[in-house]
Amino acid sequence: MLLEVNHLKTWLRAGKETVHAVEDVSFRIDRGETFCLVGESGSGKSVSALSVIQLLPRDITQHPGGEILFDYRHPDGRHERVDMLTLPEERRRAIRGSRIAMIFQEPMTSLNPVFTVGDQIIEALRLHRPEMSEAEARERAIAALAQVQIPNPEERVNEFPHRLSGGQRQRVMIAMAMACEPDLLIADEPTTALDVTVQAEILRLMRELQDRTGMGILFITHDFGVVAQMAQRLAVMRLGRIVEDGPVRQVLTRPAHAYTRQLIDALPENLHRRRVTGVRPTVEANQVVEQDEVLVRVEDFKIHFPVRKGLLRRVVDQVRAVDGVSLDIRRGQVLALVGESGCGKTTLGRGILRLLEATSGSVRFQNDDITRLSPRELRPFRRRMQIIFQDPASSLNPRLTVAEALTEPMAVHGIGASHEERLALAQAVIEQVQLPPDSLWRYPHEFSGGQRQRIGIARALVLNPSFIVCDEVTSALDVSVQAEILQILQTLREERGLTLLFITHNMGVVEYLADSMAVMYQGKVVEHGPTDRVCRAPENDYTRRLLAAVPRLDVQALV
Amino acid sequence: MTEAQVIQPPARARSYSAQVAREVFTRWGARLGLAWILVLVMIAVFAPFLASSHPLLLAQQGQLSSPVLAHLNAADLTILAGFLAALAAAAWRRPLRHRLLLVLGTLVASGILSYAFVTPPALVVYEQYREAEAAGAYDWVVRAPIPYSPKDYLRDYGDTGLEAPLAEGERRHWLGTEENGSDVLARMVHASRIALGIGFIATGIALFIGVIIGGLMGYFSGIVDMIGMRLVEIFEAIPTLFLLLTFVAFFGRSLYMMMIIIGITSWSGYARYVRAEFLKLREQEYVQAAVACSLPLRSILFRHMLPNGAAPILVAASFGVASAILAEATLSFLGLGLVDDPSWGQMLNQAVQSSTFNWWMAAFPGGAIFLTVFAYNLVGESLRDALDPHLKKNA
Repeated sequence: MLLEVNHLKTWLRAGKETVHAVEDVSFRIDRGETFCLVGESGSGKSVSALSVIQLLPRDITQHPGGEILFDYRHPDGRHERVDMLTLPEERRRAIRGSRIAMIFQEPMTSLNPVFTVGDQIIEALRLHRPEMSEAEARERAIAALAQVQIPNPEERVNEFPHRLSGGQRQRVMIAMAMACEPDLLIADEPTTALDVTVQAEILRLMRELQDRTGMGILFITHDFGVVAQMAQRLAVMRLGRIVEDGPVRQVLTRPAHAYTRQLIDALPENLHRRRVTGVRPTVEANQVVEQDEVLVRVEDFKIHFPVRKGLLRRVVDQVRAVDGVSLDIRRGQVLALVGESGCGKTTLGRGILRLLEATSGSVRFQNDDITRLSPRELRPFRRRMQIIFQDPASSLNPRLTVAEALTEPMAVHGIGASHEERLALAQAVIEQVQLPPDSLWRYPHEFSGGQRQRIGIARALVLNPSFIVCDEVTSALDVSVQAEILQILQTLREERGLTLLFITHNMGVVEYLADSMAVMYQGKVVEHGPTDRVCRAPENDYTRRLLAAVPRLDVQALV
Repeated sequence: MTEAQVIQPPARARSYSAQVAREVFTRWGARLGLAWILVLVMIAVFAPFLASSHPLLLAQQGQLSSPVLAHLNAADLTILAGFLAALAAAAWRRPLRHRLLLVLGTLVASGILSYAFVTPPALVVYEQYREAEAAGAYDWVVRAPIPYSPKDYLRDYGDTGLEAPLAEGERRHWLGTEENGSDVLARMVHASRIALGIGFIATGIALFIGVIIGGLMGYFSGIVDMIGMRLVEIFEAIPTLFLLLTFVAFFGRSLYMMMIIIGITSWSGYARYVRAEFLKLREQEYVQAAVACSLPLRSILFRHMLPNGAAPILVAASFGVASAILAEATLSFLGLGLVDDPSWGQMLNQAVQSSTFNWWMAAFPGGAIFLTVFAYNLVGESLRDALDPHLKKNA
C-alpha cells in the first residue's frame, strides 16, 4: 500500500463562506498502479490531489476530518507510515518533491522563464540530495531529460523554457518530477492543454516510466478516453464525494451509479451512436433535402501575417497561417474543420467572416464575392453569417445585459419595428436555446459557462443567419454541458436549416455533428471528404496519425 | 409576437459598475477621500454664504433685505444651479447618460443666462454694513459664519495688517489675517472653488482628448497608431509649466486659460492608457462578435470597448486631478496665478514673501492642498484596488 486516503475532508474559506470542496473521500493506491480521479470541473478532484501533497494555501484551508497515510521510504531504505495531515511542515517538505512529485496542467506557466531547464531540475535535486555535487546533479538532470525522450539532452539542458514547445515543456516537468525518483506521481490534467498527437506521446511516456520505476500514479482528468488508456482503477467524483470506484473495465462498461452512466452517455461518441440508431430517418431526410447549392465557396484563400524586425520594421518573413485553402460548403451542411493548435483553422474561420483580412484568394457567399467589399457593402452579408466563440467567459460584454446584447444587433439591421418587438424576438431565441426567460435581464457574470455559451448561440441566432462559424464552441465546457450544447446545435440546425462551419479538435464531436470534414495541417487542407469516409479510411498520413492519437473510450476493446 | 404583454425588466439589476462602486465604497481610504472631497464641494458651492461681509439677512426699518443675494455674481449663480441639477440628477431614475446631460445642460444654460442678465453692483463697499450696524441702523442682522469677504481688507479699522489666529482684539479671525488685513479662512473658503474647478475641468479636457485619440489609435492601429503615437510624444515633450509661464507672460492671467493649457498638455498619458486597453480589447471575442454583427463604429468603440477599458483611465484621472491642483498651486506660488482672486498657492506665496515667517499663512493653505491631493490619491488608490483583476474574485 503506497497511499491510503481515508474519509478526507477539505474545506476552503472563500471570503466569509466555507466551501466544502472535498467531503469524505477515501481511496488507496498501490505501488506501480495508476489510479484515476474523474469528474467535471468543480467536483473537487484537484483539491483532493493538492490535499495529498499538502499544497493548498494554509490560511484558507482546513481538514476537519480524515487521514492521508503515505508509505514514506526514508533515504536509508527504512519504511514509515506517515499521516500527511498531521506531519510537521519540515518533514512534509522532505516528502514533497522527493517522494511525492506533481505535474500540472499548464506547461506554459509551470516552468520559471528566467532559469534554464537544467537549473530548475538541478535545484530540485540538490534540495533533496544535499550530498550530491553540482556536476553529479547536472549529470542526473541530463539523464532525466534523456529519460523523458528529449532529443540532445546535453544541449537542451542549457535551454530556457521559451525555446521549448508545449509538449517538450511537459516532458521537462515530468523529468523534474522524476529526477528524485518519487514513489507517487500526481498528475493533474497533464495533457489537457496539449494537442492529441502530443497527448498520445506524453501518455505513452508516463506508462513507460511507470513500468521502469514502479511508481504509483494519481491521475486526474475529465477525459474518459484518457482514463481508458491509463488507469487500472478509477473513482468518479461529484460535488466533493466519490460516487463510484472500481476497476476501469467494470466502471466503464457496467457503471453502477446513475451519474457515471450520465457522464459516459454524454460523450460525443455515445451521442453519435444514439443518433445513428434512433434518429436515422431525419438524417436521411436531410440528405434528400440537401440541394447541391454551394452556400460558401472559399478559393485559394491565404492569410499571411508579416513578421517585422529591426528599426525600420521591415517585413522579413511571413507567417502563413492560412496558405491556399479551397473549400465548398453546401447549404444545410455541417462541415467540420479539424486540426491541431496553430494549424490555422481559427484564422480561416475568421477570415471567411472578414474578421481578418485575406492576403489573397476569395470568399464567395451565394456567388457574391465578399472579399473586397467595404464595411458598408458588407453589412447585409454580416446579417447572414455569424460566429460563436470558444471562450464563454470573454465572448460576452460584461457591461451589457443579455437583452441589450441581443437587441442591439437587431436594431442595427432593422429587425423588429420597436424595442418591445425586438425584446419579444430575443425572448423567443432565449427560449430556443433553453434558457429561462428572465435571463434577458441578467448580466453575463451571473451565468455558468454552459449558459453563457447558450447566450453566445442566441446572439448569433437573433439575426437569423444562414451560415454560422462555430469556433471550438464546446472545448471549454464539461462533457455533460458539451452534450447539451451539441444537442441544441443539432436541433437548431434541423429546425432552421443552418449551415455550420464547425471548428474543433475533438473527433468525437466531429463524428456526432458533421456531414463532412476537412483536416488542416500547417495552413493547408490535407484531406476533405464525408466524415464517415475520412474517419474510417483516411487517405492522408497526417489524418491517420491524428485519428490514431485520439484517446477513445472503446468499450469493446475493454471487454 | 404571440405574447401580448410587454416584456419588462425587473427592478433588480446588478451591473458591473454598481459592483465596482460598492467595492470602492467598502474601502476606508475611498470613504475618507470622498468625504473630504464632498466637504470641499459643499464649501465651494456655498462659499458666498459661508464667508461674506454682506449680511445674509437684515431688517432695516421694518424692511427685510439680503445683501448677499444682491451681490451674487454670474459664476456663483451658475455653480449653484449646477449643484441643484446634480442633486436632481442623483434622485432621477434614468440612465447615467441622461443624468449627465441634465447636469451639463443646466450648467451651460444657467451660465449663459446669468452672464447675460446678472450684473452685481460694480462698486462693493464692505464697510457699510459694519458702520451701519455700529450706528444702530438695523433692527436685526444675520451674518455669515465668517463675516468677512475674501477681498474685504477691513480698511475701516485702519490698523489692519498681519494678525495671528485668534489674536487678542474685538475681531475674531479663526485662521488669522494676511498682510493686507483680509481674513485667511474666508480666502481659503473661496479659493477651494479654484482648486476644485481647475482639477475637474483640466482633467475633463485631458480625458476627452485622450480617450478619443487613444481609442482611435488602439482600435485602428497601423498607420493611425503610428501618427497618434508621434503626436503623443510631441505633447509629452512640452513642459506644461514653461508653456503656462509663456502664455501668462503673453496673454495675461486667466483661470480658464490655465485650465485649458493644463488640459491640452496632459492628455497624452490617458491616450496611452486607452490605446493599450483598446489594443487588448480589440482581440476580445465580444468585440469580434460586435464586428461580426456589423454594429456601427461608434457603438463598438464607446459601448462595447470603452466601458470595459475605463478602469485604468479612471484611476489615472483621479491622480490627474491631484496633479492639476498642484500645477495651479505651483503657478500661483510663483506669483503667476490669478491677480485678484485668492488661491491656495498664492496664499503660500504670501507666507514666504513677508519679512517674518507667519506660520498660519503657510500651514493652512498648505494643509488644504495636501489634504485635497491626498484625498484624490486615496480615491485613485481604492479604485485601482477595486478594479485590479488579480485581487478580484472570479466573477
